Amino acid sequence: MTARFVKTQKEMEGRYEDVWALVDESDETTSWKPDADLSLVGQPAPRQDGAARAAGRVRFTVDVKLAGMLHAAVLRSPVAHGKVRSLDLAAAGATPGVRGVIGPESELSLTTRAPLLAAEPAYAGAAIAVVAADTLEAALAGVSALALDLEVLPHLVDMQEGLNEQRFTKDPTDEARGDAEAALAAAAVTIECALETPAHVQTPLEPHAAVASWDGDELTAWVSTQGMFAAREELAKAFGLRKDAVRVRTEFVGGGFGAKQGAGFEALAAAELARITGRPVQLVNDRHAEQLDGGRRAATRQTVRLGADRDGTLTAIDVDAVVAQGQGGWVMPVLIPAQTLYRCANVRALTFPVKTNLRAQNAFRAPGVMEGTAAFEQAIDELALALEMDPLELRRKNHIDVDQVSGLPYSSKQLLACYDRAAELAGWATRDELRKPQPDGLLRGMGCATQIWWGGGGPPSHATVRLDADGNATVITGIQDIGTGTLTSAQIVAAEELGLPLSHVRVVGGDTGPNVYGPVSGGSQTTPSVMPAVRSAAAKVRKTLLQLAGDVFEIGADDLELRNGRIRSNDGAIDAEVTEVTEKLGDATIDGSGSRGPNPDGFVVHTFGCQIAQVAVDAALGEVRVERIVAVHDVGRIVNPLTASSQVEGGVLQGMAFALSEEFIVDPTTGVPVNAHLDDYKIPTIADVPEIIIDYPHVPDGNLPTTGTKGLGEPPIIPTAAAIANAFAHATGRRAAALPLTRARVLETLA
Amino acid sequence: MLEVNGQTYAVAPRGRRLLAVLRDDLELLGTKLACGEGACGACAVLLDGRPVNSCLLLAEAAAGHEIVTIEGLSTGRAAAVQEAFVAEDALQCGFCTPGQIVSATVLLERTPHPTREEIHNAMAGNLCRCGAYPKIERAILRAAGEA
Repeated sequence: MTARFVKTQKEMEGRYEDVWALVDESDETTSWKPDADLSLVGQPAPRQDGAARAAGRVRFTVDVKLAGMLHAAVLRSPVAHGKVRSLDLAAAGATPGVRGVIGPESELSLTTRAPLLAAEPAYAGAAIAVVAADTLEAALAGVSALALDLEVLPHLVDMQEGLNEQRFTKDPTDEARGDAEAALAAAAVTIECALETPAHVQTPLEPHAAVASWDGDELTAWVSTQGMFAAREELAKAFGLRKDAVRVRTEFVGGGFGAKQGAGFEALAAAELARITGRPVQLVNDRHAEQLDGGRRAATRQTVRLGADRDGTLTAIDVDAVVAQGQGGWVMPVLIPAQTLYRCANVRALTFPVKTNLRAQNAFRAPGVMEGTAAFEQAIDELALALEMDPLELRRKNHIDVDQVSGLPYSSKQLLACYDRAAELAGWATRDELRKPQPDGLLRGMGCATQIWWGGGGPPSHATVRLDADGNATVITGIQDIGTGTLTSAQIVAAEELGLPLSHVRVVGGDTGPNVYGPVSGGSQTTPSVMPAVRSAAAKVRKTLLQLAGDVFEIGADDLELRNGRIRSNDGAIDAEVTEVTEKLGDATIDGSGSRGPNPDGFVVHTFGCQIAQVAVDAALGEVRVERIVAVHDVGRIVNPLTASSQVEGGVLQGMAFALSEEFIVDPTTGVPVNAHLDDYKIPTIADVPEIIIDYPHVPDGNLPTTGTKGLGEPPIIPTAAAIANAFAHATGRRAAALPLTRARVLETLA
Repeated sequence: MLEVNGQTYAVAPRGRRLLAVLRDDLELLGTKLACGEGACGACAVLLDGRPVNSCLLLAEAAAGHEIVTIEGLSTGRAAAVQEAFVAEDALQCGFCTPGQIVSATVLLERTPHPTREEIHNAMAGNLCRCGAYPKIERAILRAAGEA
């Protein structure tokens, strides 16, 4: 390789940092042309591990069984805020079967993340002690023997109260361009909306889980995480180990949706207890713990004031967001949609991150942007109403091709095409006919919303391709497939570049052992980061293979081409199976390594989209039924339409439930969440599913290396709730002040 | 004694749930624990041919009954459903999938040509957080020869 360092910007969910990126000048740099003749990319392909998943044969972290493995149980705070008065570690340790106990005062060998356990738990569900025992039953008996005695301290869970008391996790921020106040005062038309969005729990069906096993000073950890390399880094630092003394295995993850980052409490606690006991330790959250302490999207209250000219030109955007952060965490970019969705010279955005006695909020699919869009896009519809203007027309009118935060142009933006296609698929032009009296007595309406998100990916990301004598290739990546189908996309890209049938290519990931780095599965960055690296590695193998074929057939490599497992000469004289060349390798292999180059300077990379919802409202029962969602998203080139549509459907359904049924409810009197279970926290079932119609502009991003693909994980969840709320308003003529649109809230709104 | 997938096992239930005995003692790990409260269907197995949530059933209560897990279904009985799930991409992370396969297989055995509503009624107890539902419905129709 010819290595070079370049300074570039790395983006993760809207946070940019300047980094040095390693560039390998031997990497493939030419992009597939928009009309390139690709035989596999863009064609639907089932997952390479689909049959194993469907047979229940794949092993998740919760399925790991090791000889002598102990099971850990966690004592969690039953109150929102308290102080441990007494904790009987000795009694727990003396419980039959118990092998190790750690509490807030225990001396630990891990040196970071202090404190691992709380002596003054600040939310219900906070971990206070962990017990490891021969069986889970024995560990739970040990937890009971701890005989926790707590002094209950005052709690705060109401965000308004937190705001009044100025209790913040970080200083409030005030971002502005132009003069929103003056522009509002001068505007011909103004509107103001105050809207609340609910706390929203990721709820992966496989809870957070880890297994840790020491061999001397080497640690192997199975972690249900979206970032196995981040987990490795965290564990190595915590226990003072070399990176290569820690191996993290994450072959299958039962959902994450943002909640599973790095090693997490589970892997750190399991590794600590494994070190103390000299036995492997498994720690798995039970469902109640998962819902209390796995994470959540924070509840918000947002106020949006908009000003516009009579012709719909936006002149002022003045927004504020109060965010119930819990104990801390990153302050999500709730007001980015307000600052970037539409052309507007005068914008003010105030964010108040309120500290409450809940777990620190963490990432949940499109963190910040989804809840921000849910409020802002409702306000845009209110403005359309005030202007007596078609809501889609108002959005088109304020379209912009430049990112107004950085001042840079977007690398590619097909939003206008998304509007047109979504309108066509949904029958937008005749939407007012839905409001005529219906034979079934339901009120119908249609609403739209716009989506913006990052999703450009970037370095570092690496891949290695190895071709064997039997003509089969293995692609080694550093990715953990959390259910998105990324490994299968890598299979498609590698097979395309290698000119091999899909069945001849297998992709592996989920293990830091080979030390081939891949990014965290988050922020819609996996596909755009990994696919160019895979393509580059495959291109090097292809080049070598053709050179060797030239030797075998005594012809110049440039006169040969490789397609569908056959090597052909341009003059047609040679037409041979790839194995005619590869079999001569014997035990040798053809290896190629590739990496992801930086994104081009002078652009910002974003994804865009539009969704249109049609709803039916039963005004007597307060029931809102989503009948159809049309989702059109601009994410560049689609590698695998089969798994892409799965991503869109999943995002839409999670967004729909945010609009209709999911709300993490905290009892203000006790500060304790009351629906931290699957029977009362209402995620959708198959019976709730609307018709979902999906399309894409299918325009590869020509400024992105080298596959033109952007990420699709977050985009589909972003506009769904706003589109549904706007459809509800269109159907009923009323707008609810808060989501979700539960029956009680609908009846209250329509009363 | 438990009869699982046609084999008889001597187990000591010790007051545990069927799910725990299947996973921990028999190492039949395809059956998943996701909620432990009977709300999600990830632990679905067949008890005398009926789908039940094995997290809600004491192992002792299952004695004398015929239990079939995803492993027992995967030797051929669920093949058409499994092939349809893969072809339609009716799974994402795959954690709920064994339970979905159990419910879908029984549905099609009892109702070879289900309507959408029958699919919804039969499958509403199997939660999928990834949201594979549209494709689960399509996969069931495909396995029924209707798509």
